[in-house]
Amino acid sequence: MHFFLELVTQTEQARRDFSTHPAVLDAVANGMPVERYRKLLLELYHVVWHFNPICAAAASRLPDEHRELRYFLYTHMDEEKGHEQWVLQDLEAIGFDPSEAARHTPSVHTLAMLGYNYWAADRRHPNSVFGMLYALEVMASVYGGPFSTALTERLFLQDSRGVSFLSSHATLDAEHMADLRKVLDPLSDDSSRQAIIESTNVNFHHFERLLENT
Amino acid sequence: MTGGDPIPAALDRHYKFLRLEWTQELRMLRLRMNVHPVPCYTFSAMSELRKAFNDIDANPGLVRHYVMTSDVPNVYNFGGDLELFALLVKARDLDSLKLYGRKCIDLIWWVEKAAERSIRTTVLAQGDALGGGLESVLPFQNIVFERSVRAGFPEALFNLFPGMGAWNFTIRRAGFQVANEMILSGSLYSADELLRRGMVDHVVDDGDGERKLENIVRSIDGRHHGQLAALRARTMAAPVTYESLAAIVDHWAETAMGLTDRDLRLMERLARAQVRKLGGAETGAAEEIKRIELETAWGEFQESTQTAAWES
Repeated sequence: MHFFLELVTQTEQARRDFSTHPAVLDAVANGMPVERYRKLLLELYHVVWHFNPICAAAASRLPDEHRELRYFLYTHMDEEKGHEQWVLQDLEAIGFDPSEAARHTPSVHTLAMLGYNYWAADRRHPNSVFGMLYALEVMASVYGGPFSTALTERLFLQDSRGVSFLSSHATLDAEHMADLRKVLDPLSDDSSRQAIIESTNVNFHHFERLLENT
Repeated sequence: MTGGDPIPAALDRHYKFLRLEWTQELRMLRLRMNVHPVPCYTFSAMSELRKAFNDIDANPGLVRHYVMTSDVPNVYNFGGDLELFALLVKARDLDSLKLYGRKCIDLIWWVEKAAERSIRTTVLAQGDALGGGLESVLPFQNIVFERSVRAGFPEALFNLFPGMGAWNFTIRRAGFQVANEMILSGSLYSADELLRRGMVDHVVDDGDGERKLENIVRSIDGRHHGQLAALRARTMAAPVTYESLAAIVDHWAETAMGLTDRDLRLMERLARAQVRKLGGAETGAAEEIKRIELETAWGEFQESTQTAAWES
């Protein structure tokens, strides 16, 4: 079995726990009040801001035999560079001061997720970072679209103003998913596979906590 | 209903998604499926079913009757794992989608060939059977639906078709016309409508399914030898081949790769609706299918009105 399918099936429970969580179902169906969306964007800002440093930490530790994975991270980091600005634009579009984001202290759930990902890249296994990528891309590509549509309707937003981060990632991450599969499928060493599976489960778990406590 | 005897050691395993019941007097194995949180055919659930079938095969003669039911109130099975489909399509993972399809038809094929193993097969649906959920009951020798069950092949609504035996088994049970109508429309049908079309063998009032199941199994048990021979002859008269099932499922996977974002969104919307009902909401997948049908019809109506306006 190619690794991508193994990853999908081995982390099925975590993915389903996330997708069937009442907070997720409600957000996708009904959006959320503006104050709650503001809090979510403030948390997301820190998730996005730390995304590239985590990838860089992992890339710097990947051995040469995983050079394809390292190259993938370089490309991905380049693509994600500056996306925190989209979060700030969205905050401004819904009527809040974007400078608030950098001053905001992330919730314990965001800190736990970021802390795990830094630690995993540094001490657990550098390939753990691909669990973070996979979990975030599943969430964005599957739920980003309907969530941004629901928000647009609920908050009377125009076009993608206020939801540019979510709606853009819904499209972008569908393409990223195909790229991620291609780079993960040939992965054969067991320690890398297990690290990615573990990291996927942890990231789904933490993001679920983040969302339900926003 | 019977079923309280100890499970024979050769069949006894710890399952996560299956509950086994054994009736020694009839040598009847009943599998109750309970996949959380969405009762559908996930890889893990199919793997457990495969193990159960392998155990039956490893002990020829032990099981005379195989009965399938659901442990989830109001749902028999929602069929394919829609969330997984959407994910694999987005990942452009044709091989995995084909592998999923092959695993589905392997299970269907086992049920189709059960008579050759001297096993009688009966299925009782006490809740909705959608898409692959309906496909999976069609190879059973006896199909019992309770009256409030709704079933159909909604795949057409998101630009796909049911690829795991729907065409083969619907044509065999009910003919080309019914297969065309059911598969191409994507509509849902009541149990009585399915009975009139020859898709199911018995429809009973809600709550009477268990009694009917027992009656059927007891009535055929005494005529085991002759009935099995007749059923084997039936499959010779109207054969379904594994090659045809495999070719169709590969075609299904290739078609799925061409689904658009809109199609995938509809698929995901249906997947979410499946969860909603199980979470206690008043409406679920069946109602969502009706809504999608109405929206599609309204969209087509608007399009045709616009075209007519332009032409005039």
